[in-house]
Amino acid sequence: MGVRRWLLLAIGVLYVASVPWYRETGSPVSLVFGLPDWVAVAIACYAGVAILNAVAWLLVDVPDEDDAE
Amino acid sequence: MTFGQLGVVALVVYLGVLAIVAEAARRARSDGSPSDHFLAGRDLGVMVLFLTLYATAYSGNSLLGYPGVAYRSGFSFVMATGFMMSIIVAFHALAPRLRAVARAEAFVTPGDWVRHRFPGQRALASAVGILMTIALVNFLLAQLKAMGLVTEQVTDGAVPYAAGVIGLAGVVLVYETLGGMRAVAWTDAAQGILMLVGLAMLLAWILGEAGGLAALTEAVRQARPEAVAVPDAATCANWFSSIVLLGLASVVYPQAIQRIFAARSARALQRSFAGMTFMPLATTLVVTLIGVAAIARIETGADVPSDAVMPALLTEWAQGGGWNAAAAVVVFIGALAAIMSTADSCLLSLGSLVAEDLLGLPRTENRTTKIGKLIAALLLLSMIPIALMRNVTLWRLIELKMELLVQCAPAFLLALHWKRLSGGATLAGIVVGTVFAVALTQADVPRLWGVHVGVIGLGLNALVAIAGSWLRPSGGAGRAAEAMR
Repeated sequence: MGVRRWLLLAIGVLYVASVPWYRETGSPVSLVFGLPDWVAVAIACYAGVAILNAVAWLLVDVPDEDDAE
Repeated sequence: MTFGQLGVVALVVYLGVLAIVAEAARRARSDGSPSDHFLAGRDLGVMVLFLTLYATAYSGNSLLGYPGVAYRSGFSFVMATGFMMSIIVAFHALAPRLRAVARAEAFVTPGDWVRHRFPGQRALASAVGILMTIALVNFLLAQLKAMGLVTEQVTDGAVPYAAGVIGLAGVVLVYETLGGMRAVAWTDAAQGILMLVGLAMLLAWILGEAGGLAALTEAVRQARPEAVAVPDAATCANWFSSIVLLGLASVVYPQAIQRIFAARSARALQRSFAGMTFMPLATTLVVTLIGVAAIARIETGADVPSDAVMPALLTEWAQGGGWNAAAAVVVFIGALAAIMSTADSCLLSLGSLVAEDLLGLPRTENRTTKIGKLIAALLLLSMIPIALMRNVTLWRLIELKMELLVQCAPAFLLALHWKRLSGGATLAGIVVGTVFAVALTQADVPRLWGVHVGVIGLGLNALVAIAGSWLRPSGGAGRAAEAMR
């Protein structure tokens, strides 16, 4: 499996981790960087998605005659 | 100078800049061909492509509607950052392969792909064209209404709602007709920058007023504890569902597909998407925080409509006078820019989509361009009277937009990756998915177990398309393989 596919797989994992389905509703919430902890986790996951996705886009191989010029 | 007077001056300056850009785009035209008008001669470079993708993706709803939803939902609306980012992730399944075929076959409209991949399947091409047209018309109508609303607010009533709708619709029509995609992309670039600057200023003011992020979160917890609490299972299901719905529906937006065709090179497209993936953090997350901050600033329990949260904050900000009023005007103009940049893209796509994909007019150089422009003008004129009816609630239709559009996804995403997919089964899937989504939405059941009915409809749609193709594969598998190569 190429690097790009591994990156897309990691993006999928980050998406699953971004949603607080594993937390009990009403459980105590502490603040991390001024945000509720589950929100900080979601934002960290999305920042990770952005970085991995940007790298994945730069690795895309699209045949295009203009690029050869 | 009062807030309203500042608003009028800013509006005039903004429209003046648009006029200059439109004239420059008109002069840059090479010929009157559909490719030159609708795709800017397929010559959009990295920066312009990036900014036009950005300005088109972030509509008036993103700037005016999302803060209102965040105000009502609380921090759980951070899901919006995820679902806006999922669009750029989902493009991996579409853009590289579609771009390669589109370049070789000189596609102009999304229907070109459907006709190329499923030759002889006119009903399928029409079904996709109809769903895309309905989505675009809804989207354009919402932008027209938002234009009137924002103009009235930024000028403090000096320019009434109706004048805002008619005047700005006229402006969009003129620069789109004169300069086509080139004018749209260049004005989008200017509008995208304005949006970013305005949002950064508003967030800085809100955080400064609250005494930092931690103080803001504590104030929100005091005002409405459930806005900070861990969301329940239904909200988590809706979170996942929104990521799927928005990701898959937005990649088949005709105006997004046409920007893939319009890129100067594959490298320009790659770099633009690489940049776009960060924009939800700079835009959607910011408007979410603004909406959440409003919980502590606007009296809890007050019956504030979703679209009124952002204007209420800006009005409060402007009351500080001086630089505060000027900065609030910049944000209002930024919101207007977001609305107009989405409206112009919808209008441009509608012209080509109706002329070629729905009416099936043959593509001849200048005639198609002229007919496309005429259709766009007629559609816009016919929508203005509806937009002027302020008491008409179109939200049901607008909510339905993504649920309908997502049903087109198999005709692109599956068709690009699976050569066995047949046109008949794809059409059957679209019919099943669309009927399911429309019926449940009209029965006031927008979600089942927290999942959008459009996503469930898409599941049925894909199931029918796959099962149908297995049971009765298309006779043109060789042609399909050729189309995908």
